[in-house]
Amino acid sequence: MHRRNFLKAMGATLLAAPSAQAMGEEDRYSVGLLEYSGNFNPRPTALRRVLLETEKVTNIRVNTNELILKTSDQNLWNTPILFWAGDRKFAPFSEDQISILRRYLQAGGMLVIDSSDGLEDGPFTQSVKRELLRIFPDRNIARIPKDHVVYKSFYLIEAPLGRLTVSPHMLGVWDDERVSVVLSSNDMLGAWARDSFGNWLYECSGGERQRDLSFRMGVNLLMYSLCINYKADQVHIPFILGRRKWKVD
Amino acid sequence: MLPSFEYNSGDVLWLGNWGPIWIAGITILGLAILALSAYDLSPLPRYRRFTLLGLRASVFGLAVMMLLEPAVDLKNVTKVKNHVPVLIDTSLSMSLTATGNADSRAVLAKAAIESLGLPESLTDDNHIYHLLTFGSALEEIPLGALKDTTFDAPSSDIGATLVEVKRRYQDVELGGVVLVSDGTDTGGMGSRIRKDEALDETSQNLVASLGIPINTVAIGDPTSLRDLAIKRVKHDDFAFVRNKVSVDVEVQAIGFDGEVVQARLERAGVLLQTRDFTIEPGKTRYDISFEFVPQQLGREVYAVKVPVFENEVLESNNVFHFVQRVIRDKIRVLQVVGRPSWDERFLRQLLKRNPNIDLISFFILRTNENLISAPNSELSLIPFPTEELFSTELGSFDLIVFQNFNFGPYAMRQYLPDIAQFVRKGGGFVMIGGELSFADGGYAGTPVEDILPIQLPSTATKTVDLAHFRPMLTEAGTRHPITQLAFDPTSNQQLWETLPAQHGTNIVKEARPWATVLATHPRLKAGGKPMPVITVGEIDEGRVMTITTDGSWRWSFERAGDGATAREYQMFWNNTMRWLIKDPELKLLRVEIEQDSVAPGQTAQVTVRLQNPDYTPAPDTKGILIVSHRPLEHLESPPLEPTKFEFQTDARGVAVIEVPAPSSGVYEVVAEVQRPHGALSDRELFLSTLTTPEFSDILPRPDLLEKISTHTQGAFVSAPKTPTLVLKEPQAVQVNKRVVIQLWDSFFVFAITLGLLLTEWALRRRWGRL
Repeated sequence: MHRRNFLKAMGATLLAAPSAQAMGEEDRYSVGLLEYSGNFNPRPTALRRVLLETEKVTNIRVNTNELILKTSDQNLWNTPILFWAGDRKFAPFSEDQISILRRYLQAGGMLVIDSSDGLEDGPFTQSVKRELLRIFPDRNIARIPKDHVVYKSFYLIEAPLGRLTVSPHMLGVWDDERVSVVLSSNDMLGAWARDSFGNWLYECSGGERQRDLSFRMGVNLLMYSLCINYKADQVHIPFILGRRKWKVD
Repeated sequence: MLPSFEYNSGDVLWLGNWGPIWIAGITILGLAILALSAYDLSPLPRYRRFTLLGLRASVFGLAVMMLLEPAVDLKNVTKVKNHVPVLIDTSLSMSLTATGNADSRAVLAKAAIESLGLPESLTDDNHIYHLLTFGSALEEIPLGALKDTTFDAPSSDIGATLVEVKRRYQDVELGGVVLVSDGTDTGGMGSRIRKDEALDETSQNLVASLGIPINTVAIGDPTSLRDLAIKRVKHDDFAFVRNKVSVDVEVQAIGFDGEVVQARLERAGVLLQTRDFTIEPGKTRYDISFEFVPQQLGREVYAVKVPVFENEVLESNNVFHFVQRVIRDKIRVLQVVGRPSWDERFLRQLLKRNPNIDLISFFILRTNENLISAPNSELSLIPFPTEELFSTELGSFDLIVFQNFNFGPYAMRQYLPDIAQFVRKGGGFVMIGGELSFADGGYAGTPVEDILPIQLPSTATKTVDLAHFRPMLTEAGTRHPITQLAFDPTSNQQLWETLPAQHGTNIVKEARPWATVLATHPRLKAGGKPMPVITVGEIDEGRVMTITTDGSWRWSFERAGDGATAREYQMFWNNTMRWLIKDPELKLLRVEIEQDSVAPGQTAQVTVRLQNPDYTPAPDTKGILIVSHRPLEHLESPPLEPTKFEFQTDARGVAVIEVPAPSSGVYEVVAEVQRPHGALSDRELFLSTLTTPEFSDILPRPDLLEKISTHTQGAFVSAPKTPTLVLKEPQAVQVNKRVVIQLWDSFFVFAITLGLLLTEWALRRRWGRL
């Protein structure tokens, strides 16, 4: 992000503060990071950065504190979106963990999985798929089509870019019409991570434009978690309104 | 000797049982014998040869005759008379009188029958006549009863009558049919065939299937009428609320020229719309269409009327009543959200998954305060269509949800009166809390505040409270369908105490006098009473609700962390939607009437269903049914003195009452039951009217009768002319006496044969041939 934009964002944040105190500061939009017996946080600060970007460009009020949550944590049930990050294979989850994650997703939660191992189907992704098949034995892990609403929930995006571009698509698990699990292999968190001085921690393979597009993908994912297929509905509204013959010509 | 005068018919019979092959063989054999004889006799002189050949041929011929055994069948026969039904149309249209004080069609029809000159015995040399009236049914009457025949049958279906004639006389021979009618056919034939059109194929097959001439006598002159009639009204039996409804009307105008007619559509005696048209010379049919949008559920009685002009033949066909039931197709919900949030997301998901809800959502995804470096072409954002949603299309919704939405930034102030008016006219409205809602949404002092069931504080004071809390049900809340998540009030209270806590609330002032508070804050006060959290109310025709938190989603998701389901969340919001749109299913007392309309003198079956507050059947409960009657001519007037019926529900909570409808009119049925928690009532109505299709089109149709006669080679005349009937001669005969005389079985034939043989033998000997 350029310094000028950063300053604009700072100014906008100050100007945009609503006169009313937000109802339940603790109740702002938060994102959890799943803690498990592996390298669960390979890109510290990344989630905070994408949350800041989301608050800057959208109307969502966020809590920028990264919530690291175990499946046994009661706070999990205050946070319907959970990131699951890693860069290596990990040991299978316990049955309790699997059961809780299944219940979490069935109740309306969403999992965003990001692999930092730099491979399309690397050790972390394979471990995740193994666990997803335990969570939903009867569901497929399928490619999210390019016309899916996750690619247009806020920005119009053509590819799910991250720090890398090892995979041109994301995978997903569906719960009816909703994608409840999103799986990316392009190290999106790597593109978002900064150090305490504001410097990017990792270079993007396609340069800063790729980083910008990666942030857009992050914003879209967070927006999708809150609005689901709202954007898909938008195109139908003229038709829905038009078909209603409720007025005398 | 046989007396020839005893027999008037005879035939030759061949009794020998020889087949054609045998006869051909014998013929060939005879010819061969004659050929051989001719050859054998060729030396003889010519006359001798032919004499002998002639004798031999004669003998052979006689022998063959004896083999074939000829006989004469003598009979005394008489003809069997065929049957001729004479059909007289006794429908109501025959009672009409043409303009100018002429005789009625009935009088003309009787005169036409007399002019046929039927014998008193209804039989002549060839035919037996049957005098039959048709209208309700085909009924045979004696000739003498014709003068007392009444013309009041409700219909005149010529096609069905001819089919019935064919069935009734299928075992005898028909010589023809005589049809005396004005031709106003209420069956399919009359409507299928217009004046300038030929008989359609179906009608052709029908009339031809009798196989006899159909003679028709047309009664009435179509040119001497003056009548304005609502011939046909096309309407649906039910319509959807807030959906455009069309009523198509066909008006027939006869005997008018240049008059301006105003057709009216009325609902319950109140004028809805008018349509004007001018009658043109030579044009009798006028199609007009009414369109309106029903705003309320339930049955209503509509009337289409045209004015009554002077000297009209009939006035009763200038009005047509019908009942239309307005139902709901889908609940049309507009969800407007000021900021994406989990509360919005879970509610939207619930609404989207409900197949009975047609949801349109609008979320404010960004505001002018947000900073985006990407060009608009890389964003999927669209402008907020305030004009379309809150003005032009507002009336298409059943329910509006303002969820954490502040109208201020979107130049919407001018639409707030429309929203308030939408609610007062019967729409539903719910405001859900959040930092952009209630007082913080800027609604204080606006028309929207006027329709809210609570009052708003000014923004100068504290407007939100961030402490966690669990809403506490009020006494009303334990039983209200929105907050009743368990049947038993105590269990319901306990259930609410176990729901996840809310993380803060908007602060509101006390509830309005007309509102019902369902749940309150456990600590905050408003006007000295616990602050309302969930409040409902009815304002004019509409219903409103407020919930001052933005955390109801926790009843779904957070509760899942405890291993529970989202049942309570789903029940709460589904019940909210149903209550706000006045779903009839939520009525504890319901009156149902199966029929829209019954004929005067009949009864309507009224079913009353009573439920307890927990929606279990309420058995053995007494109530009263109040039936009010308003005549069709005075629907706008107060009803006549009501009739009351007491009832008691059975074990299923159901009571069935037969309500008589002695005369035409609209019957409003109100059920009332006193219950421990208050009085319940519900209403329904039904129509009682005599439908007379005969009067929907009273124009005589001589053209139709002529087409029938022409197609069946029958005669057609218009009364008072007398027709020359075309009837088939009887084809069947009756044999009174019969004798068969066998010609071959006699000595005379045998002697001739023997004589011829002897002669041939003698001549052959004499002429030197052995």
